[in-house]
Amino acid sequence: MERGRSMAAAALIGVAVMAAVDEIVFHQLLGWHHFFDRSTPAVGLLSDGLLHTAELLGLVAGFVLWADLRRRGTLSAAHAWAGLLLGAGGFQLFDGLINHKVFRLHQIRYVPDLLLYDLAWNGAALALLAAGAVLAARARRRTGAAGRDGTETGR
Amino acid sequence: MTPGHDHHAGGLAVAAPAAVCLAVLLAAGYVVAAHRLRRRGDAWPWAWQASFVAGAALLAAAFAVRMPGQPFTAHMGQHLLAGMLAPVLLVAGRPLTLTLRALRPGRARRAVLAVAHSRPAGWLVAPAVAVVLDMGGLWLLYRTPLLAAADQHAWLHAAVHLHVVAAGTLYAFAVCQLDPVRRRWSLPWRAGALLAGGAAHAVLAKSLYGTPPPGTSFAPADLQAGSQVMYYGGDAVELLLAVIVAAQWYAATGRAHRRRVAAAAAH
Repeated sequence: MERGRSMAAAALIGVAVMAAVDEIVFHQLLGWHHFFDRSTPAVGLLSDGLLHTAELLGLVAGFVLWADLRRRGTLSAAHAWAGLLLGAGGFQLFDGLINHKVFRLHQIRYVPDLLLYDLAWNGAALALLAAGAVLAARARRRTGAAGRDGTETGR
Repeated sequence: MTPGHDHHAGGLAVAAPAAVCLAVLLAAGYVVAAHRLRRRGDAWPWAWQASFVAGAALLAAAFAVRMPGQPFTAHMGQHLLAGMLAPVLLVAGRPLTLTLRALRPGRARRAVLAVAHSRPAGWLVAPAVAVVLDMGGLWLLYRTPLLAAADQHAWLHAAVHLHVVAAGTLYAFAVCQLDPVRRRWSLPWRAGALLAGGAAHAVLAKSLYGTPPPGTSFAPADLQAGSQVMYYGGDAVELLLAVIVAAQWYAATGRAHRRRVAAAAAH
């Protein structure tokens, strides 16, 4: 089993899935987010462009790494699930704190009282991260001993 | 003055028929060459041929068909087809490989090989060079008065179109590396070019949402629609390129894995 790789591949997918949910649900379907908010500073725009592209590439890289692990029979499903949730939660938290607050790319919704939206957004992120951490600990307990004695294959 | 208004009357009067003729010639040449290979018993995947012909058709359509939407949005639709999607499909058809296999040994084939393996061609298809040529040109077009000037001069307009198509093809060629050239660039270089190119494109698209190209007077709604066409269209093409690169990696790792398994079994 390649535990670290299983988790990393799934985390890439998790980040990309969360980014896609954000783009599709909040930008396109609900129309809550603005495509571009005129108060965005240049550095925010640059970081947004880089991250947005990295997410797209991460989606493809995550899937192809996952497919490769499966093909070679070295995918650890427990670690992959943990990675998926950690990636999704990590992105959500990054989006909520850095993109929305530090870079002020756009806000969740353009309403007078934003606090509730911010709390819900970042609370959901923390919940995802916590669930991912629990799964990671369980995966580690379950396969922790096995990985050490040279069952690592592949590379 | 709004570029795109007499866009189709002025600059395109010369450029459009030339582009359509070029696309038809490219597609016809490709089909003839692939037919020659198949007739002598060589395999040449139909999917590659379909990809190239579709690319040529899109290139022709970008110049022959009036794109929907207001001037800037229509311009972006054209840019997306001719400068991004068509080049990827053309490159995915492995035109250089086909040319080398279809030509009989002789002067013409040696000349093509010499160009493909020449030092300047090697530098041109370096991912870092290709991304600067493609994205640099795009930033010049939309962030200097070039777009406004191109609307005034037909020759400049044609040159801009030529650059967009040529640089887009170069970028796709450099990132995908499906054809044999002087040097093969490693995955990190190509992934880096994808990241840099995609980011430069996304930042430019978002900035166009709020700030028009200098010297132009597009309606805000047009600008906003056009910049979103650019942003999300760019995503789609970026995804397509990434899938091509990922599929290459998957196939190569699969071969390496099978070799390892076979070597382990032999011991």
